[in-house]
Amino acid sequence: MSQFRLVNTSLFLLITFFIQESLISRINFPWHGFSLYVAVLLVLLSFEDRTGSLVFGFIGGLILDLAPSAVTPFGQWALAMTFMGYLFSVNRETIGDFTDRPVAFVSFISAASAFAYLTFLFLGLLLGQENGGFGFNLGAIAVNSIWTFFITPIFLPLMIRVRKLLLSSRDLI
Amino acid sequence: MARGGSDRSRLLLVLLLVSSLFLITLDLRGVNLASGLRSASQSVLSPVEGFFAKIFSPVGNFFGDAKNLGNSRKKIEELTNQVDKLTAQAAVNEDIAGQLNQLKGVLDLAGRGGYKVVAARVINRGSNSTFKQTITIDAGRSSGITPNMTVISDSGLVGVVKSVTSDSAIVLLMSDPTFKIGVRIAGSQSIGVVSGQGGNSYLLQLLDTTGEIKKGDVLIARGSDNNRPFVPGVPVGIVNTVQSNASSITQNADVDGITDLEKLGVVAVVIAAPTQPARDSLYPKPQPTVTVYVTPTPTPSPTTKK
Repeated sequence: MSQFRLVNTSLFLLITFFIQESLISRINFPWHGFSLYVAVLLVLLSFEDRTGSLVFGFIGGLILDLAPSAVTPFGQWALAMTFMGYLFSVNRETIGDFTDRPVAFVSFISAASAFAYLTFLFLGLLLGQENGGFGFNLGAIAVNSIWTFFITPIFLPLMIRVRKLLLSSRDLI
Repeated sequence: MARGGSDRSRLLLVLLLVSSLFLITLDLRGVNLASGLRSASQSVLSPVEGFFAKIFSPVGNFFGDAKNLGNSRKKIEELTNQVDKLTAQAAVNEDIAGQLNQLKGVLDLAGRGGYKVVAARVINRGSNSTFKQTITIDAGRSSGITPNMTVISDSGLVGVVKSVTSDSAIVLLMSDPTFKIGVRIAGSQSIGVVSGQGGNSYLLQLLDTTGEIKKGDVLIARGSDNNRPFVPGVPVGIVNTVQSNASSITQNADVDGITDLEKLGVVAVVIAAPTQPARDSLYPKPQPTVTVYVTPTPTPSPTTKK
C-alpha cells in the first residue's frame, strides 16, 4: 500500500468523522440514531484488500476514539475496528460475493455495523465499563442497523467514486 | 509468494492489536493522551458545530414554512420572494423568541434558587458511537465552567458537565443509562436514587424502607459534597407510576423527567451554589384553581295586565 493512499484515505476518514460529529449528530434520530462514519468505514473496509482492511480498520478506529463525548479508553474503538478489519480480511472472498448485489451488500454492511458495536460493547465489558442496560444498548444497535440499511444506498455511489479518486495510479491498474 | 503475504498480514494484525492494547493500557493507567487528543478534537469541532447550529436552526423552519408557496408567474414570484424574506425573518424571530423564552425561564429558576449561573446555547448532540447521551454547549472554561458542574434548564435538571474546552463543554444528560442522582421527595423528605433509562422516563429507587411514594410526588436533587457534581434543590422529576413488588426490599417508581431533553435550546451551568440552601423553593407549584361563585339573579316574574 502506497503512502499516498494511506494519507489520503486517512484524511477522507477524518473529514467523514468531522461531518458525523458536527452535522449528522445534530439530527435527532429516534433512539441512539445513526453513525455515518461507522457505515462509511465498513464500506471502505469491504472494498479493501487484506492489508488495507487491517490498516484502515485500525486508523478508522483511532479516529473514532477521538470523539469528544467518548469516555471509553483511547484505543478501544481501534481494537474493535482492527478486529473487524481482520474479519473482513479473512472473509474477503465471501464479501466479494456481496459487492455484486446491492441489497445483499447493504444488508451485509448493516449487519457488520451491528457486529462492530457489539464488539465494542463486549470489549467495554471486559474492561469493566458501565455502558447502560443490555436491552437499551441492543435496541440502539438494532436501530442503528436499520438506519444504516436505509441510508447506505444513498451515499454508496458517492463512496465508490470517492474511493476511485483515493486510489493511486498503481492501485487502479 | 502467497505464504509470504499471509505471514506479513498476520504480523501486521499482531502489530495493530498490540498497538491498540498498548493505547488502552496507557489510557487506563492514567497517561493523559486521550483527554488531550479528545479536547483538541473538541476545540476543532466546536466552531464548526456553532456554525452549523446558526445555519440549521432558522433554515430548518424556513424550508418548512416556505415549501407551500406558488412558483410560476412573475408577479407571484415577486410576492413569493417577499414572502420568503419575511418567512425567513419570522423563522429567525421565532427561533430567537424560543431561545429567549428558555433563557428567561432558566434565569428565573436560577434566581429563585440563588444559583450563580452561566447561560449557554446547545450547539450539538453527542455522537452515536459513544453510547453516551450528551449535548455540547457553546460556553467553556473561558466562562468559568469546569467539569462536574450542574446544568439546568428553565424547568429543572439537565445533566452534569463532563468535559470542558476553552469555548465549549460536553454535558452528560440525565437520560443517560449510567446517570444517577441522589434525590429526596419534596413533601415526605424520603431519600432515593434516580437513574437514567435512555428516554424521558427514569427509575426511582427509594433508600428509605419506611418511606412512601405517591403518584405526583416531586423529586428534588439532594446535592453533593461541595455542590459537585450536583447542587441541592434542583427539580429532577415527578413520580408517574409506583411499582408494587412485594419481594423487593426497596420501593421503586417510574419517574417522568421534569425537563424535556429533546427540546433543549438554552441551558445554564451552575458555577456557584447559593449560600442558603434552596430547599423546596424551586419545585413546581400547582397552578392555583380559580373558583367562580355564581349568584342566581332573580328572574322577572310575568306581569299580568288587567
